[in-house]
Amino acid sequence: AMAGGLEPHLEALRRELHGPAVLSVLIALIAVAVTFLIWRFVQSRRSSRKAVLLLGLCDAGKTLLFARLLSGRYRDTQTSITDSSAVYRVSRDKSTNVTLIDLPGHESLRLQFLERFKAAARAIVFVVDSVAFQKEVKDVAEFLYQVLVDSTVLRNAPALLIACNKQDVTMAKSAKLIQQQLEKELNTLRVTRSAAPTSLDGSATGGPAQLGKKGKDFDFSQLPMKVEFVECSARGSKGEEGEADLEGLEKWLVKVA
Amino acid sequence: ERGGNNSFTHEALTLKYKLDNQFELVFVVGFQKILTLTYVDKLIDDVHKEFRDKYRNEFQQKGALGLLNGTFDFKDDFMRLLRDAEESSKVRAPTVMKTFEQSLKSQKTVKCMIETRGEKPKEKVKNKKNKGSKKDGTEAVAAPSKASAGDKQLSAAGEKEELTKDEILQKNREEFFRRHMKAGEKSRSPKPDAQKEKGKKPRVWDLGNSNAKVLDYSNSATNGSAESCPVEEFDPDMALGDKNREPGRLYDLEYESDDEAEEEKVVQNPSKASVKKKKGGLGGMFGMLKGLVGSKSLTREDMDPVLEKMKDHLIAKNVAAEIAVQLCESVAKKLEGKVMGTFTTVTSTVKQALQEALVQILQPQRRVDVLRDVMDAQRHRRPYVVTFCGVNGVGKSTNLAKISFWLIENGFSVLIAACDTFRAGAVEQLRTHTRRLNALHPPESHGGRTMVQLYEKGYGKDAAGIAMEAISYARNQGFDVVLVDTAGRMQDNAPLMTALAKLIAVNAPDLVLFVGEALVGNEAVDQLVKFNKALADHSMAQTPRLIDGIVLTKFDTIDDKVGAAISMTYITSKPIVFVGTGQTYCDLRSLNAKAVVAALMKA
Repeated sequence: AMAGGLEPHLEALRRELHGPAVLSVLIALIAVAVTFLIWRFVQSRRSSRKAVLLLGLCDAGKTLLFARLLSGRYRDTQTSITDSSAVYRVSRDKSTNVTLIDLPGHESLRLQFLERFKAAARAIVFVVDSVAFQKEVKDVAEFLYQVLVDSTVLRNAPALLIACNKQDVTMAKSAKLIQQQLEKELNTLRVTRSAAPTSLDGSATGGPAQLGKKGKDFDFSQLPMKVEFVECSARGSKGEEGEADLEGLEKWLVKVA
Repeated sequence: ERGGNNSFTHEALTLKYKLDNQFELVFVVGFQKILTLTYVDKLIDDVHKEFRDKYRNEFQQKGALGLLNGTFDFKDDFMRLLRDAEESSKVRAPTVMKTFEQSLKSQKTVKCMIETRGEKPKEKVKNKKNKGSKKDGTEAVAAPSKASAGDKQLSAAGEKEELTKDEILQKNREEFFRRHMKAGEKSRSPKPDAQKEKGKKPRVWDLGNSNAKVLDYSNSATNGSAESCPVEEFDPDMALGDKNREPGRLYDLEYESDDEAEEEKVVQNPSKASVKKKKGGLGGMFGMLKGLVGSKSLTREDMDPVLEKMKDHLIAKNVAAEIAVQLCESVAKKLEGKVMGTFTTVTSTVKQALQEALVQILQPQRRVDVLRDVMDAQRHRRPYVVTFCGVNGVGKSTNLAKISFWLIENGFSVLIAACDTFRAGAVEQLRTHTRRLNALHPPESHGGRTMVQLYEKGYGKDAAGIAMEAISYARNQGFDVVLVDTAGRMQDNAPLMTALAKLIAVNAPDLVLFVGEALVGNEAVDQLVKFNKALADHSMAQTPRLIDGIVLTKFDTIDDKVGAAISMTYITSKPIVFVGTGQTYCDLRSLNAKAVVAALMKA
């Protein structure tokens, strides 16, 4: 009698399962899952690349540039040993924000911090000391080369701005001269670096990435990302009290954000 | 990565620093090296605490805006703290000093001296024992004064100790007087001397019924004197040990005993651990969960077991022992007080920090790009000179040949200078390499130019002279690179190190490469330190030429025990330029820091 009582219940249950209600439940679940995935994807795409990195050699002026952009005031700075990040409102009318990240330029720290933040980079500002450029050409080019052949950077192709800082000093080199010299140095570097002995685990140090086109001399236009040169002065021509001369930089930031 | 010690000296200044890892602050105090300021540590701690408390709000804000916008008007507070610290140090000083008259000791001993004449030698002996190594004490009067002079340097606590010893001394003297009266022997004083001369003579009990107190020598302050030591009986059977051994035979090392000792240790540790676990119990489980979630700051006790394990792991991977210790110390300093995020264990944080430190060590200050520098030298129409130095048998000549092959492949002509004039067959070895390389790259394929040539002057000549001649020959003939091969030498061999330093100082090569093998363990530290020291000592110039880069050879013989790379770069802070992985010409690699660190951290 018990088994007989259960049977019709089971039948009813089985009919229910094959009914249209279950199908709709399943479709709803799938829709939710898909929406969730799409939302996560979009979120990660959008938020993962909201950072603008400030790179450069030691004493190029990155930290002062960072301070000026964020607060407008002059500050005495020390050599950075860790990164500083803050949200920067790009312009007064639009509400887009970017996260400015100031990385240390010291040789033993710079690559480590670049590794950490390169995936989140939407744009890179490479700060160059225009006054000491003649002496430091090789070091500047080496660091720039390391940034440019990095696989993540090549994949994302963030916009690159080379900010020729310290233009307030009379001996500062112009952006055009810096561009020419860098192109020449990078041309040599890509030959020597790719000719270096292969790395221990088999991967070549220069990577399969070849900067620019093979046959021709290196040119910044051959890179997959947009490169611009701008002159700026974080200290400002009127000394510490005055405003900094950052118009070109700010305009570029507006464009990039 | 060198954060282990917290002070740094540069020329005339000393800098002491303290890290606050919670808020990522560094406090630095600089002062002149010649001043020994005792209040510096206290000052730093006070400044740290006050600064942190005062500006806590600014630090709590995320991002750098708090630091940028906040005004940190700390100058007045700092001056106040500095004044406090200076005063506190001044107050302490006078209490240390105590004049000779005030010292109780001097009064006592002089008085005793006057009382009895027979006690003089005994006095001397007792005083000696009390003061230890501070005086020679030929005259008893001179002795106490010297002792007091020594006392003056002791701190107040030390003074008190001396006084209690004096009380004991006094007590012993009283006992002694009593004994003297009882026994009635006058020749007691020479007896101590005689006893001291004979050394371990058995004690003579010349007292019949004596006081138990007198015979109780356990409290006396006569450390190390002959009379108070019980005589030991020399049992030849016990001393020789195993009776059945054959005389004169050398037995092998027994390995079982080592295993047993290890097993014992291993057994003990689990028992200790299990005891701890039992005590933890339920609280332990909650503690584990609590450790995962929530933000807590790291303390030294948390990190110590993990660091110990990591240190042993590093040493097992052939990192030099002192470097492993220093590395762990610096990681501990860097992480102390840091706030961990959620779901991160102590182990993972420490491992990550250690990994970062290792990568930082392996990525050098300035990458040595040989090709780039050769191109520069080419433009100035002078040869680029590379010198190879190292101890015996590390692979200098083999790697020199590999590097010359690599340079020829890149179109540079090479002159090999055979400055190893000692080892038999060194010149012939290089000649064979030259012949092979020329066969691989014949002059026809390089525009009629011989790509590699050997400059040698046989054996027994002065290496520095041959190097100089080779460089001028290269300049005349237009060679791009000169590779100078030197003889291997041990770092302790002073005359040979002088000769090497002279070679380098006189010829001023562009690159000095130290060749070290990857199999070396703790020796790497000693080798590099002594080589650098020799180069620095014998150089006339203001800035001496030190080792510029390292060639790590025989890398194929170690699988993942790559610790030698860390040891060498840590000591010199110079990069590893080449890695040799075999004996053929193509076995030349460059270092991949991440791969090496991954191999190091692998379990």
